[in-house]
Amino acid sequence: MTKKKIGGMEKRMFRQYLIMVLPGMLIFTVGLIIPLFLSFRYSLTDWDGMSKEMGFVGLQNYIDLFKDQNFRDAWWFTIRFTIFNTVIQNVAALLFAVALDSGIKAQKFYRAAFFIPCLVSAIIVGFVWLKMYSNVLPALNDLLGTNIDFGLFGKGETVLTGLLIANNWQWIGYWMLIYLAGLQSVPAELYEAAKIDGAGAVKRFFNVTIPMLAPAITICVVGITTGSLKVYDLLVSSTKGGPGRASTSVIYQTYATAINGRQYGYGSAMTVTLVVVLLLVALIQVKGLRSKEVQQ
Amino acid sequence: MMKKVMSVLLCGAMVASFGVTALAEEEHEPVTLSVLAGQSTTDAGIEDMIDEALAEKYPWVTLEWECVDWGNDFQPKMQQYLQSGLPDIMIGKAQDVATYAPMGVLAPIDETYLDKGLDAARENVTIDGTTYGLVYNALYQGVYYNRAMFEENGWEIPKTIDELQAIIDDCNEKGIVPFASHMVDTWSIGNVTMQFMMNDVFNKDPEWGDKFRAGEVSFADSEEAQTAYNYNKLIFDNTYEDTFSTEQTDCDARMVLGEAAMKVSGSWSIQNFLDIDESFDFGIFPFPNQTGDSKLIFEPNITIMTSAETEHQDAVNAVLDVLTSDQELAVEIYDYTKTASMLKDVSPTFDNPSQTDIDAYAAEGQIVDVTLGNNQLVWGGFQEENAKDIAAWLQGDITFEECLAASDARVDTSSAS
Repeated sequence: MTKKKIGGMEKRMFRQYLIMVLPGMLIFTVGLIIPLFLSFRYSLTDWDGMSKEMGFVGLQNYIDLFKDQNFRDAWWFTIRFTIFNTVIQNVAALLFAVALDSGIKAQKFYRAAFFIPCLVSAIIVGFVWLKMYSNVLPALNDLLGTNIDFGLFGKGETVLTGLLIANNWQWIGYWMLIYLAGLQSVPAELYEAAKIDGAGAVKRFFNVTIPMLAPAITICVVGITTGSLKVYDLLVSSTKGGPGRASTSVIYQTYATAINGRQYGYGSAMTVTLVVVLLLVALIQVKGLRSKEVQQ
Repeated sequence: MMKKVMSVLLCGAMVASFGVTALAEEEHEPVTLSVLAGQSTTDAGIEDMIDEALAEKYPWVTLEWECVDWGNDFQPKMQQYLQSGLPDIMIGKAQDVATYAPMGVLAPIDETYLDKGLDAARENVTIDGTTYGLVYNALYQGVYYNRAMFEENGWEIPKTIDELQAIIDDCNEKGIVPFASHMVDTWSIGNVTMQFMMNDVFNKDPEWGDKFRAGEVSFADSEEAQTAYNYNKLIFDNTYEDTFSTEQTDCDARMVLGEAAMKVSGSWSIQNFLDIDESFDFGIFPFPNQTGDSKLIFEPNITIMTSAETEHQDAVNAVLDVLTSDQELAVEIYDYTKTASMLKDVSPTFDNPSQTDIDAYAAEGQIVDVTLGNNQLVWGGFQEENAKDIAAWLQGDITFEECLAASDARVDTSSAS
């Protein structure tokens, strides 16, 4: 009798869960899974995105991708942008968070000041930094009588640096808040115990703070990496992928190929490769970082 | 009897008047038309002028505007609408007609409205004898020059590259930047390259683009095409050091302030020039070619196209009527955009210092329609991508040969069809 009751209850619970998950699942399927399959289907065709004809070309688009110098260059730029962003943003955000958590004066002001840029659209950030490099900072040269070259977006060698400054200016405050929340949830007793054991500030940071922040580190590393791999809007309003092709990201190249270049099938193949890389990177990072969380 | 006849007539008149009123009301049923407007930088704002004029003459027609940047967003939007159904009206450039008309999605424009436009505007928007676009205004492209600076230094308008080089050398000696340019905008590189191509390539062989697709000519083998590409290097070597960081408005401002002598550009710069200094005196000449017979470039700009599947052809015609018959509106638009009229008997009233030069070239027949080149070598996917390679070459990221090879490899995307 009791077993039957429990069984009935479980079924009802299962139905309830199903009903609650269903809307999200539907949106996820319609908005992500179906387009992904459609994209793969298009990637096997020579469709131009406009005409009714759609010829099947098999894996030819994928073979062409490996021979496409522009696509390889786009990946090289994207990888460098991602690696530098992931390192700089994580380190800087963590350091700022530790500084703010140490009880400095005007903590709320600094927190707000660091966070505000991430509320601005990346398109606006692109415009802002384009103006900074081409008008505002050169005007400082006139004021100070210096001759510093601020035209970072104007040269292939410096455009990555310029974009990293703009992107980190926008996002460090956001990740800093996540680290700050993590820091504030670390029990004070752990630090006290470490102090009693004779651990100095550096040892406490590496042996208490970092391990306790492992879940926050997972979130930040995966978030920054996947976000950087998808960089597009910042480029649209600042460098437009240039000068030349020096700052063309994979998504920028995909859009230019599929939409402006009317090679929808080929562009879809680019998309599919990006999705596969994104999934792999996220999977490896989550697996690696989560295993460290468990060990602690 | 007479009374009966009168009452029947009165009743008949009443019924008829009700009928006419009902018909009129049916005709004036409010209609909202969707409009996709691919605008150049000069065009933003003309939609309000059109709305106002339309509301006055045809208050039952309302336009729902979707204004996008022609260079970046018009084609993607059209690509989207080709799947879901086209807007009632599309405003693009003349070259768009060659892209979309063969797909059978555009409606022919009625002769009533075409007759109000200049004949010169029809040639490149006519496909197999049917005209699918109404060209509303035109831009001129060439080398804008600071007239006062030319007079002060005794420089004559150059007709050959050697003459242009002499001016460049003199500029460099006197510490004047020869050319204003804003290569941060890759489109500007694409634009001037087509100007060079028109005078050095299409001037000699009007079917060069078709021959390119047929494999008869190529960038790697064509001396003329290479010369055209090389002019970009001439500009790059003689322009602002920070051209890849300089935006259009800053570039134009620096020219108006006397920092540079010339700018290879189009009518869209006039708006900037006059906004910065309304007394700035400038002229225009075609970028010289190897043979000394270059022509001023003429580009049909705002081109109205209509959907073949619109359910409101009457309302669409009402819009075409306002655009072609309301001369006050036309002048307002031309004066605002600082462009040339493509309507008969309508002339802009703004003071265009370069107009005397344009008139002189027109009188000598030294004007060529760039749609010829743009139809054969399309902007999106070809000219635009080539411009990126040219920029990469100028930056030293790739060699000139690689730049030419990249253009040749892109042959499949050089045509819209």
